[in-house]
Amino acid sequence: MELITRRAQQTKVQQNYMLAILACVLTALLAGLLSHHVDLANIVMIFLLAVFLISVKLGRGPGVMATFLSVALFDFFFVPPKLSFTVNDFQYLLTFAVMFAVALITGQLAARLSLEAELSRQREEKTRALYDMARELTAVLKLDEVDVVSSKFLSSVAGLHGVLLFADEQNVLSPVKPSKVWYEAHIAHAACHNAKTVDGRYVVAETDGVYYFPLIGSGGVRGVLVVELPIDLQPMDEALRELLMTMVSMLAAVVERLHYGQAVQASEMNIASERLRSSILSALSHDLRTPLTVLVGMVDSLLLSKPELTIKQKELAATVHNQAMRLNHMVTNLLDMARLHTGNINMRKSWQPLEEVIGASIQLLGDSLARHPVTVKLAADLPLLEFDEILLERVFCNLLENAAKYSPLDSPITISAELVADDVLISVIDHGPGVAETRLENIFRIFVRGDAESTSHISGTGIGLAVCKAIVEAHGGSMQVNNQPNGGACFSFSLPLGNPPVLDLAILQGGAT
Amino acid sequence: MSSLAPVIVLIEDESEIRRFVRAALEDEACVVHEAATMAAGLVEAGTRKPDLVILDLGLPDGDGVTLVQDLRKWSGVPILILSARASEQDKILALDAGADDYLAKPFGVGELLARVRAMLRRRMQAKDLGAVVNFGQIRLDFGQRLVERNGASIHLTPIEYRLLTALIASAGGVITHRQLLREVWGPSHSDSNHYLRIFVGQLRQKIEIDPAQPKHILTETGVGYRFQL
Repeated sequence: MELITRRAQQTKVQQNYMLAILACVLTALLAGLLSHHVDLANIVMIFLLAVFLISVKLGRGPGVMATFLSVALFDFFFVPPKLSFTVNDFQYLLTFAVMFAVALITGQLAARLSLEAELSRQREEKTRALYDMARELTAVLKLDEVDVVSSKFLSSVAGLHGVLLFADEQNVLSPVKPSKVWYEAHIAHAACHNAKTVDGRYVVAETDGVYYFPLIGSGGVRGVLVVELPIDLQPMDEALRELLMTMVSMLAAVVERLHYGQAVQASEMNIASERLRSSILSALSHDLRTPLTVLVGMVDSLLLSKPELTIKQKELAATVHNQAMRLNHMVTNLLDMARLHTGNINMRKSWQPLEEVIGASIQLLGDSLARHPVTVKLAADLPLLEFDEILLERVFCNLLENAAKYSPLDSPITISAELVADDVLISVIDHGPGVAETRLENIFRIFVRGDAESTSHISGTGIGLAVCKAIVEAHGGSMQVNNQPNGGACFSFSLPLGNPPVLDLAILQGGAT
Repeated sequence: MSSLAPVIVLIEDESEIRRFVRAALEDEACVVHEAATMAAGLVEAGTRKPDLVILDLGLPDGDGVTLVQDLRKWSGVPILILSARASEQDKILALDAGADDYLAKPFGVGELLARVRAMLRRRMQAKDLGAVVNFGQIRLDFGQRLVERNGASIHLTPIEYRLLTALIASAGGVITHRQLLREVWGPSHSDSNHYLRIFVGQLRQKIEIDPAQPKHILTETGVGYRFQL
């Protein structure tokens, strides 16, 4: 069942020679018993038969030895004068020659046949072992199971010890479980990461009887099989090398399959958890907005109810309305922040002019900007920019709301945009007190507001600016704040130009009226 | 009730929201039929011959978009969508499926009534705006394909003209980017979104007083445009 190791082979060869001698002697004894009843010619036949059987059973070498021994024994015991190597009749020399030739030729033919039969049996065994391993590998689900199958194959087929090494995230090779097989880490590493080919075959590194087979998959080297070779089998013969190469390519295919399977599983889990997160967020959004809608709707109904409310009652109701809407803004910002923080924001970027989203933001704020005239100054050469309009609207709304909140009534707000190197720089400038020096640095951090002293009468969490910054950064831009020389804060952010789509002039001009 | 009173079917699962919406609409002399589920809503819409359907997109028993599609198979009744801001995509789907306008929650009663009035008016006019439309400084003569600003003729390219007429036809509701692209360029151009935005920008330059803060072609961010006469 196993490829015989060399030491065992040597003892077996010695045994075979001894057996051959024994067989010849027994043949001579048998022939001696029969010599009174049969012709010398038939004695020759008995010897020929013996040599033939020895060659078949014990191989080429013992066969040759048996040939010589048989001729000698025949001469010594049976050819007159008996018990002497001298020959009276010269025709016996011819008998010896024919006997010698026939024994040698038939013996060698028989030996070769049985050798070939043995070799094909061994080949068949290897194929069967590989087939068994392949079958076991198809059922494998984890890397340590691959290691078990490969160890089993190595020991059963070649009586060898081996271990599989796989690279982790840090590219460090290690066995899936502790192994007694000794290997040098740096050679294994080199075999894995610098696998070289010669004539289309991967070079197998070897030191001190330890062989390093890289596991080559279609997506690169997946690991290393380390095989320890006993001294009597060194250097590795071609048949064993071929066998191990075949085995390694099968292992590589399985490891690769496991790798992709894991990747698919990981991404499926990722998708599932993201879906969960986003459904929680949208449920939260729905749950928070429903009572807000009821609140706003009810208080509006109160305002419109007959008989008409007194002025004081109307003021109270209007305050409830405004506070509910503020709460809604806060909920929007918090949910946006949660989405941006979990990386769960679904960006829907498209190429568009900046003008439109600025106009939409001003329109959306409506009454909150009633006492702050907004001037929009956009450079004439602004290209299309790629952004998510809903998110950028949040940025403009938050900045404009901030500007309106922190600057005196009827003071203007300016929005400007210009090309600066590879970016478009967009600024929102107010005429308020500006941002205190001490707060400039961390004003974009969540829950940090401007000067606590001077603005304590203005409510707000400071989450708006953190949302702005996160949105701008998600677009590949950056956000800054500074104070204008003549007072007032200037919040500015950049958006990268990117590669705007080429516009088809024929479509743009659209023919004449 | 007078047979002239507009009939409105309100499909919304939150009873408190139904309560104040109903109260506000009844103050406007509308007849309101309520439904808390999609299935009931479809029955109400089919039997009450409504002049307007108000539909919440977040119904417990199914997708509001499907209801819009079902309704559109046999009825051209105006549909007003109520939705939370988080569901931009659902909103667009509903509008593309045939809904006419939307209102983001939370909304004021004033806002709601303004939308309802605009949609009912549009239904009365049945898109028959007449041969001449006036808005702001602009006078548009459909018969002569003539556009004037403060009495002086202004030049519109054929695409700008088609864009303007499509926007005017949608007045009283919202028109999505996709719907506009289809109307102006045909179905094969529904992905050249940036051209649409460039043309809207050009059109605003020609008809708005301050193109950066438009008064007629309003942007519904992420959705499309709203034209105000």
